[in-house]
Amino acid sequence: MLWFDNFLLTKGEAFSNKTGRLYNTDDPFIDSSFEAFSSPYKQFVNDSSISGAILPTGIPGDSHYIDYDNGRIVETGSNYTSDSVITGTFAVKDFNVYFSNESEEDLIVEQKFMVNSRVPNSVTSGIAPYDQVVPAIFLSTASILNEPLAFGGEESTTVRANAVILAEDSYQLDGVLSIFADSHNEIFYPIPMTGHPVDEYGDLKGGTYNYNTLKSQYSNQKPFLIETATTSKLTDKARKSLANDLYVGFIDFDIKINRFRFS
Amino acid sequence: MTRLPSDVIKAIERQAPKLLKKPFNKEFKKKFEDLKAKMIKEFLSHPVTMEIKSGPSATNMSGTLNGVTNLFAFIGFDQGDQPIQPILQILEGINYTYAGEAKIGVTYTVNIPEAKEIFAVTPLPYVGGRSWAKGIETGISGLGYLLRKNSGRSGAAIQSRNQVRTGRFQNTPYISALINKYKKEFKELK
Repeated sequence: MLWFDNFLLTKGEAFSNKTGRLYNTDDPFIDSSFEAFSSPYKQFVNDSSISGAILPTGIPGDSHYIDYDNGRIVETGSNYTSDSVITGTFAVKDFNVYFSNESEEDLIVEQKFMVNSRVPNSVTSGIAPYDQVVPAIFLSTASILNEPLAFGGEESTTVRANAVILAEDSYQLDGVLSIFADSHNEIFYPIPMTGHPVDEYGDLKGGTYNYNTLKSQYSNQKPFLIETATTSKLTDKARKSLANDLYVGFIDFDIKINRFRFS
Repeated sequence: MTRLPSDVIKAIERQAPKLLKKPFNKEFKKKFEDLKAKMIKEFLSHPVTMEIKSGPSATNMSGTLNGVTNLFAFIGFDQGDQPIQPILQILEGINYTYAGEAKIGVTYTVNIPEAKEIFAVTPLPYVGGRSWAKGIETGISGLGYLLRKNSGRSGAAIQSRNQVRTGRFQNTPYISALINKYKKEFKELK
């Protein structure tokens, strides 16, 4: 997921820098003394290796955390009330990226996602936390296959991973599909959970995250290879039978790694 | 055992391919056609092929859907579609060409299709670029079925959505296994 996000943001420059107000939103899951201020968009860019992306700046006060996944600031100090005016500058992803366990039919036919347009409009409220909104890309692993490779028990492991893309228009969809169609033969290193940059609040563990720096820490590991990346999209005829007006595409990855089991 | 003199062996090696080309060709052609017919027969009698060929009223004889609905409806084909036909055309197009002389014989090259050639001519009806034949091997979602239901072009085999849920698709070896098996058999043809 970290590789996918970085690849899309780097190759596709799939983000926009925004400056504006963050609006107070209710969240029963956080401490009642905290005040959450949401931007009108989900998922801030949190990777400082993305050239041109402005990571959240200008946020007042020292006592806050940034919930990058939900596109909001949570003020934890006592100086802020629901009436406080909070503004900031931040880069938002053109596509929210989620890891999903839902089947394709559930994502496409069943789910009624809220469209959180990146096109400038006169939004005067923040977006509710936790809801998944589109444009978005849903990643999932479909299957894993181990095949004997060499004496001594080395195996060739193929992971089939899928991405379902829900886009606002065909330009956006074709952009993502063409970027990832070129991702074959790319490699990425396995990053363990302990190395994951985001904490349980959606904030960065060390206050900063740079994908290039992080991956270099694990570059002594055997890499995963994107052997094939096949892109496809829902035909227009089929799209018209959907309840929503989204453009739907798919990326099917075959990802390989040679490894010993349980290592 | 008496050994033939080396000049005699050389003479045989030089003359045999020319003299035996016709009888070899005749014999090879028969063996080739028999093997090709066997391959096509195996493809046509595969439960997945039979089920799809039977159209929207088929039973799930392949067992890929736990007996719920059938592959034709699940994949989302229209009534009247003939999804097996393009694969059959490719298999029927398998041929051989004379490749040259060998020691006391001749060699032939057989043009067996790769699985990906078959995947290229078997698109899912609702997603351009994805192959239903590959999906049989790697997994297929029930999207075609539901889209079909939404658009009301379902034919005879539509059942409730919940039934599709409980009958999730089970992958099964199909085209790749067939091609690999017969690649080996054609290679061993003598």
